Amino acid sequence: MSSEPIERRVSYLGDRLRASRCQCCGKEYFEVRDYCSNCGRKSYGKMDSIDLFYDKGKLELCTFVNEPTNKFMKLSNFVYGIVSFHDGKIRVPARLTDQLICDGKEVDLSNLEGREVVPRFRRRYSVSKSDVIPTISLAFTLADEYYPHQEYKVVAPTKEYDVPGVVGYGVYISRFRIKEAELERAVPFLDEDSVTASVEAGKMALVHSGVDSKLIGKVYVGSESNPYSVKPIAAKVAQVLKLGEEDGDVQGVDAVDTEFACKAATSMYKDACSLVSYPRSGIEYAMAIGADNAQAAPRGCPGGELDTFVGYGGAAFIFGKNDVIAQVEGWYSCTSDTPDFWRRDGEQFPSHGGRFTGDPAYFKHVRKATCKLMERFNLKASDLAYFVAHQPNPVFPVRMAKELGFKEEQYLPALQINKFGNTYSGCVPVGLASVLDVAKPEELILVGSYGSGAGSDAYLLRTTSQLIDKRKHQKVNVKFQAENPFIEYVDYTTYRRLKMGM
Amino acid sequence: MRVASLGILVNRLSGVFCARNGKPLIAFPENVKCYCKMEGLVLQNRPVIVAVGRTKFGEHYGKEPEKLIEEAWLAASNECGIERKDLEACYMSDCFLPITNKLGLEEGFLSELTELHVPMETTRSFSAALLTACHAIQAGVYDTVLVGGIEKMTDRWDKIRDDLMLLEDPWSYYAGGTPESNHELMLRAYIKAHHVTGENLDKLNIALAQVSVKNHANATKNKYAQYQRAITVQQVLNARKTAQKPLGMFDFAPISDGASALVLMSEAAAKKLCDSPVHVLACTSATDYLNYTAREDLSRFVAAEIAMKNAAQMAKTALSDIQVIEINDQSTVMELVSLEDLGFCKPGEAWKSIYESYLGNKHFYEVNGRQLYVNTDGGLKADGNPFGATGGAQIFEIYRQLKGQAGTRQVNVDGGLPKSGCVSEFEGFGTKAYVTILGERKD
Repeated sequence: MSSEPIERRVSYLGDRLRASRCQCCGKEYFEVRDYCSNCGRKSYGKMDSIDLFYDKGKLELCTFVNEPTNKFMKLSNFVYGIVSFHDGKIRVPARLTDQLICDGKEVDLSNLEGREVVPRFRRRYSVSKSDVIPTISLAFTLADEYYPHQEYKVVAPTKEYDVPGVVGYGVYISRFRIKEAELERAVPFLDEDSVTASVEAGKMALVHSGVDSKLIGKVYVGSESNPYSVKPIAAKVAQVLKLGEEDGDVQGVDAVDTEFACKAATSMYKDACSLVSYPRSGIEYAMAIGADNAQAAPRGCPGGELDTFVGYGGAAFIFGKNDVIAQVEGWYSCTSDTPDFWRRDGEQFPSHGGRFTGDPAYFKHVRKATCKLMERFNLKASDLAYFVAHQPNPVFPVRMAKELGFKEEQYLPALQINKFGNTYSGCVPVGLASVLDVAKPEELILVGSYGSGAGSDAYLLRTTSQLIDKRKHQKVNVKFQAENPFIEYVDYTTYRRLKMGM
Repeated sequence: MRVASLGILVNRLSGVFCARNGKPLIAFPENVKCYCKMEGLVLQNRPVIVAVGRTKFGEHYGKEPEKLIEEAWLAASNECGIERKDLEACYMSDCFLPITNKLGLEEGFLSELTELHVPMETTRSFSAALLTACHAIQAGVYDTVLVGGIEKMTDRWDKIRDDLMLLEDPWSYYAGGTPESNHELMLRAYIKAHHVTGENLDKLNIALAQVSVKNHANATKNKYAQYQRAITVQQVLNARKTAQKPLGMFDFAPISDGASALVLMSEAAAKKLCDSPVHVLACTSATDYLNYTAREDLSRFVAAEIAMKNAAQMAKTALSDIQVIEINDQSTVMELVSLEDLGFCKPGEAWKSIYESYLGNKHFYEVNGRQLYVNTDGGLKADGNPFGATGGAQIFEIYRQLKGQAGTRQVNVDGGLPKSGCVSEFEGFGTKAYVTILGERKD
């Protein structure tokens, strides 16, 4: 049983950690207050809205929970405590997340107390499958571990471009990994899913771009693991990240989920570019997010072959015409009705066409789109600095790159399948981000995405000099997350448990 | 209503001064004021207790809630000869009956039980019911009322811990809090606030275990208690180790079923019935934020301090005159902290008195050179904690002690019966605090 009105109010306040500050006495409150309890009537209408979403807090006190209340059973064991913000002006209850604490493992509470923590947007607790999924940002992780605190600073744009392009981007990969042979794959924590990854990626993109979130007029979220059949991820992203002008409790932004297997997000890049270029759209920036908790049946079950490659994570790209770091020079898309990979409504795991997923599907479409685009721009493989291809497994993208005439130094920087696994809709976006992390100005990048069912979008990007300037905004880049010393490796059983979530 | 500033209050209260050096034991935070109209209060209709009754606490699998309250009421009725038709009103308390037993209008089933149509009201705790009943007697509205409490928690054993979170801020629940976690956080806050480290920290942990050991030992002499068996300090410490937590199973009160009742009368009406009723010298309450994390001081319960100060003033009783106290030990930490909040020990020092009692293997705490008997019935820990009925059992115990009816657990002070006793009860985690002082009339 759940109450939707309560759910709406709790997530509205709790996802963003909305708070208030009295203009008269400076007292701060968690939650939205119309007046200050300290100042009373005279403070009515003089309460500033603040929020703690981009803030860092301090874990004041904590204890260990191994006998939780019923809805937290799946999250147990965990550390629960009190986090303070703004030198103790606000104190909130807190759960430490991203911690796997097995029974019998000693938790040194005094080692945790006093440390800095970052609020994280996560699922709140377990509910029945038909209920609205409760979320909250009263989940925290240690700032000196995997996920550091990053300030979100809005930067006024300095240069306008004729051609639209990428203004900023962010990649989110979870802290947990499974390592089998040479392949490492990202695993979500119990309270993570494609919704939380989308928000995280979007948050990082805002941090990187310095774009004011209220100037984002449209947000697309492409995913094939939305925990809802009906209810957009994009709406959650828009509200938590406060995209578009905020008016009351409604955001002035268009938000939509897109679906085309693994190319649901990349397909929208051209729409985002077009939208910000259309003079009457009134939209300065558009955000396109691709994120997935890539689904696969367990090994040994039909479709379980996918379980060797699936990962978790995503990336968000902000498109616009100001302070562009990579201009989108052109694109080519192709589509055919090819049943190589699908998931029927109500089915938990996808099915696939075995060996047909390669030749009549992946290779045919990616080859078609990329070759057509190179033809149009009269480019040879050697004219391009980087090639980014969809990475359903470690073999396909390499074979494709070689066939198109690319050398290792051109296609390897984008190859993240060995680090994070196949993140489905997040796959090409993460690959593109890892190239932008290392590219130099005035380099050409060719992108060839792929979505089963089937189609491919090819893009040609040209980097600008502002690419280098913006890099310093983003500490949590692809390399940071791939080579982080706080990565925690789990075994196959734990991986399945985490992946299936709460 | 007159607002007494802190300074004036402290000066007027002998009870909050240290008996040895005359220094005040409690210092309020500056923003905490006591609101209390005590002086000039005409107490013509003094409330007195003429009889008490209770059931055994524990699991009553086969009994409906009404069977329990019936049992408690009949015991009280038997004791004083008051019949149901003599009752002019009923004040009843339960905290979770609507949830545990789908009973939303408890007054109705009490009416059916007694075949009475008198005014009846329900509160969440026994002390709250008693407070309301006292006000009615003092106002001269009634002469004879029933105060009853009931709880049936084991009927929802698998969900009761979630239900308990109703008494806390919803955000704590949303963040993963449990009924135990605030107690553990308060212990850590206490340790930090009073800089308890090293050897002292070990002693503090043993002192907390001793609270439980002492309460269990007391319960062996109480036929109504839920756990009538003794435990050892080592068992308490082992349970903490098993739980991998600062506090373990033996540090917390159990969930229980049970009922309690008492008959409250005006002094004048009671004279016809018995010679020596027990006077309710004071009954007070105070409130604090629901949200524990937002409270200014996380290492104590300000509401308990305020309620105690007001009660001591109302009863014109010095703390040094109170020999038996019943503390709401939902956890061992709560007993420790309450000893300080109520003014019996200095802040940060109660654990020393408790540790001494452990060393001496005593069932009382030595505070300022005198003996303080705490939770002689076994406390919530061993007697049981059926929320709505708990306060009634606490009053029951003090009543028995003051009347010399406590049997093998009877406390003797200087060769005589204790003169006055005090009951402290909470609703929630220090959100509402009630203090009741019982004893002989002083003027």
